[in-house]
Amino acid sequence: MIDPYYLQQLAIGLSLGMTYALMAIGFTLIFGVLNVVNFAHGEIYTLGAFAGLVLISAVAPPIVAVIFGALAVGALAGFSLERLAFKPFRRFTDEASLKSRAMRESTLLSSLAVSIVVREALEILFGSEMRSLPFDYLINTPVRIGPVILVTGDFIIFGVAAAMLIGLQYLLTRTRIGLAIRAVSNNPLGAKYVGIDTDRTIITTFVVGSMMGAAAGILMGLYYGAIFPAMGFVPGIKAFVAMVMGGLSSIPGAVVCALILGVAESMATTFVSSGWSDMVAYAFLILTLIFFPNGLFGARRERV
Amino acid sequence: MTHLLDVRNASRRFGGVQAVNDVTAHVDEGELVGLIGPNGAGKTTLFNLMSGFTPLSSGTVAFAGRTINGMKPNQVARLGVGRTFQNLRVFPNMSVFDNVSVGAVGTLPQGPAGALFGGFTKAGTERADAISRRTWEALEAVGLTHLAGELAANLPYGQRKYLEIARALAMRPRFLILDEPAAGLNDTETRALAAFIKRLHGQGLTIMLVEHDMGLVMGICQRILVLASGRKIADGPPDLIRRDPAVLEAYLGVES
Repeated sequence: MIDPYYLQQLAIGLSLGMTYALMAIGFTLIFGVLNVVNFAHGEIYTLGAFAGLVLISAVAPPIVAVIFGALAVGALAGFSLERLAFKPFRRFTDEASLKSRAMRESTLLSSLAVSIVVREALEILFGSEMRSLPFDYLINTPVRIGPVILVTGDFIIFGVAAAMLIGLQYLLTRTRIGLAIRAVSNNPLGAKYVGIDTDRTIITTFVVGSMMGAAAGILMGLYYGAIFPAMGFVPGIKAFVAMVMGGLSSIPGAVVCALILGVAESMATTFVSSGWSDMVAYAFLILTLIFFPNGLFGARRERV
Repeated sequence: MTHLLDVRNASRRFGGVQAVNDVTAHVDEGELVGLIGPNGAGKTTLFNLMSGFTPLSSGTVAFAGRTINGMKPNQVARLGVGRTFQNLRVFPNMSVFDNVSVGAVGTLPQGPAGALFGGFTKAGTERADAISRRTWEALEAVGLTHLAGELAANLPYGQRKYLEIARALAMRPRFLILDEPAAGLNDTETRALAAFIKRLHGQGLTIMLVEHDMGLVMGICQRILVLASGRKIADGPPDLIRRDPAVLEAYLGVES
């Protein structure tokens, strides 16, 4: 018989992992298509949470409307982010520029710049302290299953992450938008020459990925009950680690690794103080890079 | 009569290099034209000018009566210009079928809502049928139907060339530009390719062949354009080109 304590830790870990997964899905989608890291993804998450806060304090709509509001803000943020930080560096379409590391790494910095500006702007607007969300909206009513206690939010987050994953799989493999996204991710020039509007495809990817990031943000806000301008940083790092562990451009891989990461962190708190649990992610990142440079699932896999 | 493709005084300069210098040329509906020239003659640049990849420094390029300078490659593609690449640009991690259907999707445009939920409307279903029909037709034309479910990355080099041609055919192009299709093929494969290109041409497709392999070009093209140092130095049927002193000079060096 397993000690119920470990079951509880496992449940907490899975739930934590799901929140990383929510974040990692959008992150990996954008990486898969553009082959660049979008450092502003964490701020999209924060923007989603703050959009929820503003909506709730202004009109107090039903929770579903709050989530739709966050999705809309995420879509808009993704669109603007792409225009501001990524599009300008796609001006040069010749072979040499497309392959140049400088071109790719410049968007690494430009997205980082956008993330800093957004974070600081939110601090100016809302202050840097924790802001609590109204109690009625929170999704942390306890639910007891046998020896394990979960909260409603765990189920909601699980449901949303699963729906996102399935929805994305549908989008990528069953729709023409998905076909275009995969084509652009495989070979942007080739796609262009058979009539795919690569620009529009890239924007679509950003919008979809950012909507997921923003949804994650508001869900986490409602789950923990508090939000603050720098809240996107740590989940952003965790999502990044999950993406690297999963092999950089595999969405299912990133989700599985996000779960592994979550469980490992929650189990680690048994042995070390919870302040150290973030170390687990960094340790995983380093170990992955040393021993599994192609990600845990290695070999060939479908990109995106 | 207007030409299908009409290049007038096209020039393209890269920094100090005049890659294409004042080239005027045309291709008529139904022709099979070869474009040859020694290395560095500007073939690829001219080619890129014709498919919207590289903007012109001066001059105009018109396709089917419409000026295409300044258009993006995907817009040019939608007008009916299909092309393949010297160094292949297939989508390695997608199935053969999906690779080819990208060509059909790219040239059957529709709004984002239709693309997402098209499967649930009548117009959407018809469009999906059209895409799959075009895809199968193109696969059949190149003889890859039996490999439809295979990942493109798993195909041998020669078949990937045909895959790329199939992807271009799924666009239902009016004009197909093949960039060095024989590169890397052995003699038998090149002969099969020649027969295939002639068959496509026989079905009414206008084709331009950019090639290094003189035998292939001389054997199947009705007319040949010769570039050297960015300029057009000859334009005529293979027999004339073979005896043209300027061409011989460009290829073989100065002869007495």
